[in-house]
Amino acid sequence: MKCFLTKLYILAFMGLVIFFSTLIWKLTFAHLIHEYHARKGDVSIQHTGEAEKKDQGKQTFDTMILESEDRVKHYLGYRVLEEQRIEGHFHHIGFDIGPDNRSYCRPCHGDMPHDKVKDIRAFLNMHAFFIACQTCHVKLGEDEKTNVYKWYDRKTGDIVASPVNGAPPGTYNAKIIPFIRENGQLVRIDSEDKIQFATDYKTNEKVLSEGQKSKAKKLIHKIISKTPVTCESCHTKNNPTLPLAELGYPQTRVDSITSTEVVGMIKNYTEFHMPKMLSPGEKPATPQLQPELLPIQH
Amino acid sequence: MRLKSRFGPFGYIGIFVLLTIYFMPASVLAADVGNCLLCHKYPGLSRVDENGEMRLLFVNEDIFSKSVHGKVKCEGCHVDITKIPHEPAKPVDCLVLCHIIEPTSEQKFTHKSVATSLDDSVHSKKDKDGKEKPFSEDMPTCKDCHDNPMFRPLAFVKKVRPGVAEDALGRCRVCHTQEEFINRFYNHITTRLHKSRSPLNIAESCARCHDDPKLVARHNLSTSAGGSYGQTFHGKAANLLDESVPDCLDCHVPKGKSVHQMYENKDPRATTYKENRGQICNSVDCHPGASTDFANYKVHAEFNMKQNPVIYWFTTFFIILTGGTLLPLMAILFLDLLRRLFPNASFRRRKEK
Repeated sequence: MKCFLTKLYILAFMGLVIFFSTLIWKLTFAHLIHEYHARKGDVSIQHTGEAEKKDQGKQTFDTMILESEDRVKHYLGYRVLEEQRIEGHFHHIGFDIGPDNRSYCRPCHGDMPHDKVKDIRAFLNMHAFFIACQTCHVKLGEDEKTNVYKWYDRKTGDIVASPVNGAPPGTYNAKIIPFIRENGQLVRIDSEDKIQFATDYKTNEKVLSEGQKSKAKKLIHKIISKTPVTCESCHTKNNPTLPLAELGYPQTRVDSITSTEVVGMIKNYTEFHMPKMLSPGEKPATPQLQPELLPIQH
Repeated sequence: MRLKSRFGPFGYIGIFVLLTIYFMPASVLAADVGNCLLCHKYPGLSRVDENGEMRLLFVNEDIFSKSVHGKVKCEGCHVDITKIPHEPAKPVDCLVLCHIIEPTSEQKFTHKSVATSLDDSVHSKKDKDGKEKPFSEDMPTCKDCHDNPMFRPLAFVKKVRPGVAEDALGRCRVCHTQEEFINRFYNHITTRLHKSRSPLNIAESCARCHDDPKLVARHNLSTSAGGSYGQTFHGKAANLLDESVPDCLDCHVPKGKSVHQMYENKDPRATTYKENRGQICNSVDCHPGASTDFANYKVHAEFNMKQNPVIYWFTTFFIILTGGTLLPLMAILFLDLLRRLFPNASFRRRKEK
């Protein structure tokens, strides 16, 4: 037994020696080798002065996407505030929500998919943060309609309990997805088959012919309705589309979402500021001018 | 024992009241008179603008209320927003007259003096003759260095909650009654009594420009300032979150001046002007009695053969000496342990007796 323990002790010691050897190698010779290769590469500062003008407006994928993933830690003494750093953004974000890994719309349309209607794009993106695309962009037929909506985890895609209660509004790590009836069974609308089809399309997109691409896109978007669900369908006390209470919204939040404050603001936007709100993407037949701005008839 | 009994149950009640206020929903304390957070409290409120840039319109209410601007109303900075619904807001002009009254002059507060200092500094877009500098677009504007500054109350007097001295607050309460005022005043004063950002955060902020190889080349700067600072004792300590080591501002800003008053090396007002350098290091807080020669060492020397050949070969020699000594030592240790593990092992065949 004593012999075994001695051997074990020696083995542990040998492990320690290997660990320190690696550390010393990294700090000494590996550092020199790295510096040598860096020097050989084109990373040294070259004073080209005026000759090399700043290439303004050149936005590469690196500068636009990858650099925006820069993270920063603010050491405040009593806490460390870690967040994503967005260049030129003044206000602190203070928390992280990862991308929606379940959505098969996101690979093409992104996390901020709404940009058509300038006036309301930010509002629509705000809702897309916790509502799946299909919730608004698919109008179900009577035979498919179940009025069942559930939350799914953005990271795993699994159906989860309501994250609403106690969390600040809109900061959920989950999204609302509708359920449909298929062959008499209750299933989520973003089935594995649909996800697989969209993934296969995205993978093979480069090798497909224009005709094949067009066909695939039509199949993917087959369930999409021409006119989405409107804001007033949910922000109403009169039988809202989303069953807010069943989705775990406490009564105070339900009251807030359907309050005169929110409904009134939507009405205000719709009537005065955003005449296109209820038909995003469509141009109004005649521009709506306020009476005082109408041209004076002589 | 005596100290505890001195406060009695009132101490606990006081702590309870403080904690209640501390954890009170920020909406109670924030300056959102216009109810802007009705929409802007949602983190997903965002868009990609016409230039392909992401615009995040979210304001974290909890963090905002703990920032130095926590008392400023939204429309105090976003002055073009006068109604809801509103058009896309214009960029904020940090020099705008704020609604907050500066107590000593009783005038409306403004950051205009900062702009004056900046225009006279090395970071000005114009040279001494008023002409536009080459690559003036590289010169920093407010948001290049500043996000919304957070309070950093002194953290060395931790008692009940970190960063805030409850004893000090107790003294404030003797005369002042409003908790919101007491907390804000305490945060404001103690934040100003030390660095408003950690040395590491300061170095990171400067390095965003000063470590950009293209920018360094465009402006004929001799070094990547952030990277070379990181190789010094000061930089390494800053990286370990030491608050006492000098950061960029300690050496490059004249004592008692605004951090925006930095001047180029040739300017006699600059701390880095040849005749002034001695005063940087020999301050009573750092290296009292240090000579000018001490301050004239190559602070931003890089491990680079072309720029600093003497330092390069000197460092290389010591790296090889260290590695060349310690690695064989480790090898000998390993072989010794191997022998102890297998005392009778041998490559030779044993002679049969």
